[in-house]
Amino acid sequence: MRLPRFSPTFYGLGLVLVVLAILAPALPILSLTFLTSLLIYVALAYSINLITGLTGYVSFGHVVFMGTGGYALGYGVSALQLSPLAGVALGGAVGLVLALGIGIVTLRFRGVYFAISSLVTALAALQIVLVAPALNDGQGIVLSVGFQARSVFYSIWLIVAAEVVVTYFATHGRLGYGIRAIKSDEDAARALGIDATRLKLYVFMLSGLFAGASGALFAWFTSGVFPYVMFDLTFSLFMLAMIIVGGMGTNVGPFLGAVIVYVSYWYALTVPSLLGLAFAAIGVIVILVALLIPEGIVGTMRRHFPGLRGILE
Amino acid sequence: MSLRVVAADVHKSFGGVHAVRGLSLDLEEGRVVGLIGPNGSGKTTFLGVLSGALKATSGSVTLDGRRIDRLSADKVVRFGIARTHQIPRPFPEMTVRENVGVAAMFGGQHRDPQDALNEASRVLSLVGLEASADRSAGVLTAQERKRLEFARAIATRAKVLLLDEIFAGLSPDELRAAIGLFQKLQQELGFGALIVEHVMRAVFALSDRVVVIDEGRKIAEGTPQDVVRDSAVIEAYLGVDEAHAPP
Repeated sequence: MRLPRFSPTFYGLGLVLVVLAILAPALPILSLTFLTSLLIYVALAYSINLITGLTGYVSFGHVVFMGTGGYALGYGVSALQLSPLAGVALGGAVGLVLALGIGIVTLRFRGVYFAISSLVTALAALQIVLVAPALNDGQGIVLSVGFQARSVFYSIWLIVAAEVVVTYFATHGRLGYGIRAIKSDEDAARALGIDATRLKLYVFMLSGLFAGASGALFAWFTSGVFPYVMFDLTFSLFMLAMIIVGGMGTNVGPFLGAVIVYVSYWYALTVPSLLGLAFAAIGVIVILVALLIPEGIVGTMRRHFPGLRGILE
Repeated sequence: MSLRVVAADVHKSFGGVHAVRGLSLDLEEGRVVGLIGPNGSGKTTFLGVLSGALKATSGSVTLDGRRIDRLSADKVVRFGIARTHQIPRPFPEMTVRENVGVAAMFGGQHRDPQDALNEASRVLSLVGLEASADRSAGVLTAQERKRLEFARAIATRAKVLLLDEIFAGLSPDELRAAIGLFQKLQQELGFGALIVEHVMRAVFALSDRVVVIDEGRKIAEGTPQDVVRDSAVIEAYLGVDEAHAPP
């Protein structure tokens, strides 16, 4: 197979990532920490973009993969004496397998039925973790891995870089055409020979892999896993808000959206008069985007400046 | 040997609605069969079963002796049977060329996107849509959409096409042109077709055989000339002659 030519945005994203990687060692620890949590959200946004952005299947309970990945690391590091990095790999593997199992069943449902079944899996997973003896009966697991700021940073950096590459291949070439056709009209896509069942499952598994790895990394970063944190549906909402703002199904959208939503949230947290209104601030952003630029930043630019199509993709 | 599709005693129910009640039909590469019947007689449902979009409640569909009625629609296409939709379903976010390219890429033999798009250009010039190749499929007129739907089916390189009312809504001149185009393409490409149609001129001009169904059952089959003289057909279309109607 011939490799597709890479677009300028792809190189642009690559450049941003390389600059971050070079700057990281020189950054003060507080900035590095901020950057790491930002990249965790970027990674989560790219993860949900693979399924919801590309195929239009709204994965409302996407946090289930994150939480499960986090618990995989928690269990692996505490009970199996794995290194945190191996724990991240385990988290990714568990996320992938879980997505395979859930996807085989739920990807048959369309529209709101998929969204609800996805939400239910997240709620069910939390209830299971709360009573699982192997996972400390829902008391959470505290990890004594120390604070390895640079290792954590470079690990999440790698995850994001891998996601950017995977997203590029999933939006270009033969695979990209197949997925765009499914998003546009799944039955018509099937009538032209596209194996929609398999393609959807592939991207869902990739999505689960990256969400699981990101969740594991979040557990490493915060040195512990706690059920009400790891399975907090707020994460699902954050992920959705990020791709809505940035532009669903695009290559740069998740990055832009994650930066805008996370920085706004962070900023709202630090303004005393906005105390308790940080989530409301995100709600306002999402509503404005939905009203004014429903295709998100990248989608809207693409629509209004057709000349940018080759560049933005 | 040419490809042969045989449907045998196909039934399809939706809950209590028995839409297709024991239809049998032979399709063959290079031959055109017309399927006619009043609205709601089960034509489109039957086409859905043949294409794999719907699963038959009972009965079988075989392709050269091999069962295909349990396969998904995308596999049926790759076995050489492609359908069009009565209401065209283009991908409006893509260009016309890309729409056809997707069919060539997944249903046809052109895995490489660039090859597939080249093939799409060729197919578009066959159906006379080449001038619209780079337009968005979302802005096409109703007739252009029908042509695009037909072009996509051809681009899959299917040997048997299932065409759902592709001649509907044309003016007499357009209809004449469309029939001519169909005949030319059919000779060139050699496909067989099942044409589900209300436009009798197209059915009579193109069909080797005509099957008439009513309420999910076959009521007549034969050459177009035979079928128009059949009393059951006249009854289904025009109602029972008043003289014979029960009081």
